[in-house]
Amino acid sequence: MKPRERFLKAIRREEADRVPQLVRPGKEVSQRLSGIFGVSGHELGIRIGNDAIVCQVGINAIMEMAKADLKEGETFTSEWGVVYQRQSGFDNPIEHPLKTREDLKTYVFPDPNAPRRLDEVREVMKKYHKRYGVIVDLSSSLFEPSMAHLRGMENFLMDCYDDPAWAGSLLDGLADYYSQLGTRAIEAGVDVVRIGDDIGVQTGMLIPQDLWRELVRPRMKRMIQTFKKANKEIVILYHSCGDFSPVIPDLIEIGVEFLSTMQPVGKMDLARIKKEFGDRVAFKGGLDTQQLLPNGSPQQVREGVKDIIKTLAPGGGYVFMPAHMLYQDVPTENIWAMLEAVKDYGRYPLKF
Amino acid sequence: MEELKRVAEKVEKGKHLEVPEEVRKALDKGIPPYDILISGLQAGLAVIGERFKRDECFIPEVLLSARAMHAGIDLLRPLLAQAGTEPFAKIVLGTVKDDLHDIGKNMVGMMLEGSGFRVVDIGINVPADRFAEVVQKEGASILAMSALLSTTMPYLKTTIDALKEKGIRDRVKVLVGGAPVTEEYAMAVGADGFAPDAARAVDKAKELLNIRA
Repeated sequence: MKPRERFLKAIRREEADRVPQLVRPGKEVSQRLSGIFGVSGHELGIRIGNDAIVCQVGINAIMEMAKADLKEGETFTSEWGVVYQRQSGFDNPIEHPLKTREDLKTYVFPDPNAPRRLDEVREVMKKYHKRYGVIVDLSSSLFEPSMAHLRGMENFLMDCYDDPAWAGSLLDGLADYYSQLGTRAIEAGVDVVRIGDDIGVQTGMLIPQDLWRELVRPRMKRMIQTFKKANKEIVILYHSCGDFSPVIPDLIEIGVEFLSTMQPVGKMDLARIKKEFGDRVAFKGGLDTQQLLPNGSPQQVREGVKDIIKTLAPGGGYVFMPAHMLYQDVPTENIWAMLEAVKDYGRYPLKF
Repeated sequence: MEELKRVAEKVEKGKHLEVPEEVRKALDKGIPPYDILISGLQAGLAVIGERFKRDECFIPEVLLSARAMHAGIDLLRPLLAQAGTEPFAKIVLGTVKDDLHDIGKNMVGMMLEGSGFRVVDIGINVPADRFAEVVQKEGASILAMSALLSTTMPYLKTTIDALKEKGIRDRVKVLVGGAPVTEEYAMAVGADGFAPDAARAVDKAKELLNIRA
């Protein structure tokens, strides 16, 4: 079975020949694995057994993928006017363009139709789509970029209460931008559109679910409707870190069919979620990256992979992935143990 | 007292624009500034802290209440200084090296300050030596550190080692937290206490210093 077919079956909640995989190495792990395999970028993902390819085109792409040669402590300014600083191999937003709410009046969003913006997507489509699934990643999409990139976390969290109409107009600007960008990617033929918007923390939601319903949900719904208009078959993947379980029913209502990252924290009881929603959504992720992958033994990692497949993969509807990218604290032997275990335990019919 | 209750209520509801007026009313009634601080401002934030601990409110609500409390403290500060009111103890606070996470640490700072501690916040991306240096210079009773990445957690231990090297480890209690940090991890790296959230950081700080309030 071709990787793409395997991936598409899984996200349509059918059992393929085995559980498909999409493991995303962070910068340092990419370098480490490139040194071993002699390939990099999308080729590296394929070499470690991935069935799909992710093209990041949203505001986070700048933070997670660009500027490979930046040194620790160095900074740069993005086209959104955000200043980032490299720290621990990660480019963190340290200065935000919307210093006051007033600044939004004169703020100019980047052009979603800029000529070269989807070059990578088109290239990936041409080179890989016959064989591999393709996801266009629009993260971070609405709430998260407002908070983390454009306005600053404490500011935006308080804006939502001090002036919800203003917060709404910032979210509208982002929804407009991403609706256009996503539509262009759908026209290029991608299989999945990924909306990434962190609203969960370790213990629960970052904001009350009612506030999310009032401010974020209608804008996300509008985006999804635009995408479905461009292609009614398009699969919408939603990602949040942390515990976002309270809004899973809402996400399903507005057209999300695929959920990631399923971080096993707070009330993210993966077995309960699979049981309750597994007939309507597929899942991706779930393997703990905070304790297990960095600190566990290879044997514990194997057991972890086995557990997650046992919980999320029955009946299809699961793409294996750790609950985040792999960062420099994950020992190489744990990466091998993980990849091996996916092959060993992920074959359908599952033997549990 | 009715006035103090109203101060507390405004803090609890995060009404930072209305707190100063209520504080003034309480002062006009002749209520001592220290009482307004403890039974008005801090009492209001304590309600939110308790609700946060029980997962009954969210991070933005804590931020709003902390901002409201500070609007009142700003007004009281000169009066408290005149009265010579002493805070409980000094706490040096920061996020470890290579880690730029701010908000969790800030919330801990606000809650500690709101509970009567003097907080010296030395920011984010703080090298181990700098922590040790400031702890010594300030004569702090507690060093509170946060690490938000699994990749920066090891700096908690590096910093504790730096305290040992300086020979001041036994003079200061070390309190740690941050998303990936667990009680078990905290103990393994030789911290004195762990707190999973800002409200519980206050409880733990009091426990470490045997403060009953």
